[in-house]
Amino acid sequence: MHKSLIILRSEFMRRVSSKTFIITTLLGPLLVVVFFGIIIFISVAALESDSWTIGIVDETGVLFDRILERGAGDHELVRVDAGSARADVMAGRYDGYVRLPAGLIDGSERPEFFTSGGGGFSIEAYLGRRIERALEDYLLDERNVPADVRAIMNRSVYVESVKLSDEGEEAGSTAAYGAIGGVMGFLMYMTTLIYGSLVMYAAIEDKSSRVVEIIISSARPFDLLMGKVLGIGAMGLVQMAAWASMFVVALLAAGPLVGAFMDPAAYDLPANVSNQELLAAADIPLPSISPTIFIWFILYFAGAFILYAGLFAAVGVMVESPQEAQPLLLPIMMPLVLSIVFISPVLQSPNSALAVVLSLVPLTSSVPMIIRLAITDVPFWQVLLSFALLVGGFLASIWLSARIFRTGMLMYGKKASLKDVVRWFRYA
Amino acid sequence: MSELLLRGATKRYGSVTAADHVSFKACSGRILGLLGPNGAGKTTTIRMIADITAPDEGEITFGGRPVGAWSQAQMGYLPEERGLYKKMKVVDQLRYLAELKGISRSDSKPRISHWLQRLGLEAWAMRKTQELSKGMQQKLQFIATILPEPRLVILDEPFSGLDPVNSELLRDIIGELKADGRTILFASHRMEQVEQLCDDICLVAKGRVVLNGVLRDIKRSYKRDKLALEFGGAAPFLDEMAQAGAFEFLQQNEDLRILKLADGTNAREILERLMALPEVDLWRFELMEPTLTEIFIRAVGANA
Repeated sequence: MHKSLIILRSEFMRRVSSKTFIITTLLGPLLVVVFFGIIIFISVAALESDSWTIGIVDETGVLFDRILERGAGDHELVRVDAGSARADVMAGRYDGYVRLPAGLIDGSERPEFFTSGGGGFSIEAYLGRRIERALEDYLLDERNVPADVRAIMNRSVYVESVKLSDEGEEAGSTAAYGAIGGVMGFLMYMTTLIYGSLVMYAAIEDKSSRVVEIIISSARPFDLLMGKVLGIGAMGLVQMAAWASMFVVALLAAGPLVGAFMDPAAYDLPANVSNQELLAAADIPLPSISPTIFIWFILYFAGAFILYAGLFAAVGVMVESPQEAQPLLLPIMMPLVLSIVFISPVLQSPNSALAVVLSLVPLTSSVPMIIRLAITDVPFWQVLLSFALLVGGFLASIWLSARIFRTGMLMYGKKASLKDVVRWFRYA
Repeated sequence: MSELLLRGATKRYGSVTAADHVSFKACSGRILGLLGPNGAGKTTTIRMIADITAPDEGEITFGGRPVGAWSQAQMGYLPEERGLYKKMKVVDQLRYLAELKGISRSDSKPRISHWLQRLGLEAWAMRKTQELSKGMQQKLQFIATILPEPRLVILDEPFSGLDPVNSELLRDIIGELKADGRTILFASHRMEQVEQLCDDICLVAKGRVVLNGVLRDIKRSYKRDKLALEFGGAAPFLDEMAQAGAFEFLQQNEDLRILKLADGTNAREILERLMALPEVDLWRFELMEPTLTEIFIRAVGANA
């Protein structure tokens, strides 16, 4: 058997049979659910607790009642006197007050919002929306606009997204596709980062435990590097496959669970209706995902992982402890972080120049490309070029890393400077 | 014929020349002691032999062929800096390291149990390596080195950290390997161990070979200028001779005196004068050969 395969098998078996692996595989999804659960819970709780009492000084004399007519929503609106408003806010009776100047009616003046500590975007938007509506009501009243015209003005239009594909049409909202793209992009980022840095720790372990000298008196440094990278990569794929199957099981269980919480009466259905019918009646849009996206995910993960693992391994071999590695990691993580920073522009316009360029450059391509593949039809030449560049990128990264490996693995005592690394590169 | 031959092997790291035209020969069925102070270039030389680093100049052959991946499979190397996978089980560790030397799992199995038994580790076979004491890990690593039955055995300080009983056991096994015709390279700076074990020595200092050859011959080439005397009774003529500069006392105990003879002093004359004194009971008269430590210091000193 080839040396790198022996190393791969040992690395893989050692990791897959470790307690850490079993625990993270089993508890990983649970932690993610708990994590997002906490975030959602806190956000909802924060929104609910953030209720304002706002005084309104209505100098127009016509807007306050119209504002209240449409309801105050989550906040409380109170009419106050211009003279005492300031003092009331400072004394804490109100969280703030709004002055609606007389010139607001003809558009010559703007409303002003006074608070002691600043308002925040959401409260400003809330006030703006309500004042705008009240002003509109008043101006329409003044001109005796009939109710049917107002109904026309209040109509909203929502666009329904339908994705065209070779198989036909796939219904599903942009939001749902966006969510899938976002989740896939984020997963790509996390897995590349986590499994990539495991390779770094493995290199540090081999170096600091001095076992490396024995190994490279039996195998080429390149075999050692490839064995480690592929062994850990294989472990990553097994772990992700385990998570994916847990996800599928959860999805199958989720239908009945959601159904159990829904009231058939709300959809004019008999009480003994089946879950499937109930879910269909509720019209919960489930976007269909083409299975090829998962194949691309695995391909891009493999490519990006090997590319980054090579770089991480090179860092690992320059140091003797994870602490020393931190400053060296920054330049390597930058492109990866960049790809996650631009996740939102890519989601919003997946065929923009930015998205296309990011998804071609090997160091950043995996995250934007998987998002684009999930939410839009990427021209085939782009996928082909991007993947070819990624393959070229990881070959270069492994080649570079193997050269640094050869010398760096046996250098102890002092921390490597960039100059040293360049020198190691030449010795190899 | 598994002869290891180095011819002008040189390795530079920037401005530092870690090994400077190192040449020596190690023959099968013999033990070559590679000696040198710390930083003399022993490890660099060994790494070139083990094909871990390539020499910048010169050539290294084993059995007439330049070393490379092929010779790694024929070679067992016990580095000075010991290292094992801490969390791996003892048997897994041995099996993995043997596999990397090209020994299949089915072939390594009986050898593993044989060697674990021989070195008293059989009870630890299923334990994790980190549970073993330092000495036990040392023995484990020694097993890993010789288990693939290498034709070239490189042992860098194999006895460090071992108690006398285990040192003796290791020495026996090394003797068996020698009798079996393996080529053995033994690197150390512990002179007494080298003296006991080695047939040939190669002394390196500052990257250069300063002394190389058969240990016996090298020792013979140094003059015997130390005289050990042990006798009962008084020999006042010795003090007179010392005052005259014929020798100096290196040691003077109750009955034992060690003398360093000056050039031109005849040891025979001392013996005759002692024998002539009727009250002297002579128990020991020995012209001592120089110890390896002394040879080492002289050779390195001359080249410093």
